[in-house]
Amino acid sequence: MTDFARQVEALRPQLMRFARVQLRNDAWAEDAVSEALLAALEKPQSFAGQSQLKTWLVGILKHKVIDQLRRHTREVSSSRDDDEDIDDHIFASDGHFREMPQDWGDPVAACNQRQFFVVLETCVDQLPNKLGRAFLMREWLELDADEICKELGITPTNMWVMLHRARMRLRECLQASWFATSRS
Amino acid sequence: MFFRRSCREVARLLTLREERPWDWRERIAVRLHMQICKACPRFEQQMAFMRVAMGRWRNYAGDEPPR
Repeated sequence: MTDFARQVEALRPQLMRFARVQLRNDAWAEDAVSEALLAALEKPQSFAGQSQLKTWLVGILKHKVIDQLRRHTREVSSSRDDDEDIDDHIFASDGHFREMPQDWGDPVAACNQRQFFVVLETCVDQLPNKLGRAFLMREWLELDADEICKELGITPTNMWVMLHRARMRLRECLQASWFATSRS
Repeated sequence: MFFRRSCREVARLLTLREERPWDWRERIAVRLHMQICKACPRFEQQMAFMRVAMGRWRNYAGDEPPR
């Protein structure tokens, strides 16, 4: 095995982790990562070396993840709680916040703590499947609205509802799992 | 009232700020609401927080999992 192949192989666990978070399915994640690694090993010359190897591989992996989503999203059944309107829990019937939103402070300070990302990732993981996919397509794969609608076969209005709910849920989860506990 | 929005409605405009640009009525409504509401400005900060955090997460792309 060449040095390059060994380095690529060493990054596999990290790539797997990210594909899993994104795809929520081990078999698909496995396929996406395998395809990304194959593509990398076939064209080592396209790695210019200016960027980090990991960054380059993650770039390839994103495309493979999108391929997997394309292949499989149509067959994904919606999990039953996707349609629940979380706003009903957060807002009173007169439209006011039931609880005053807390001051979360400086995001950069939180981001300097490794543990914060563990919590963030766990929260993203807990989103219902469809919401989670739409959210990650937007936030992590940085697809634009048209592409997301096309991939998921939904209308823009539908997508807004999903992104809104995903962000509201994520906010609730961060509040409960990070801000309510780790402020010592 | 024409420009009156509840926190629930304003929150929805705020979460989708990047995806769905506000029209002029919504811009005015949000401005007016923010002046009289304590909760929504906080909420807006939380959304900004989440945007920063997601950006960092995107770039952090799988550093060693801190288990």
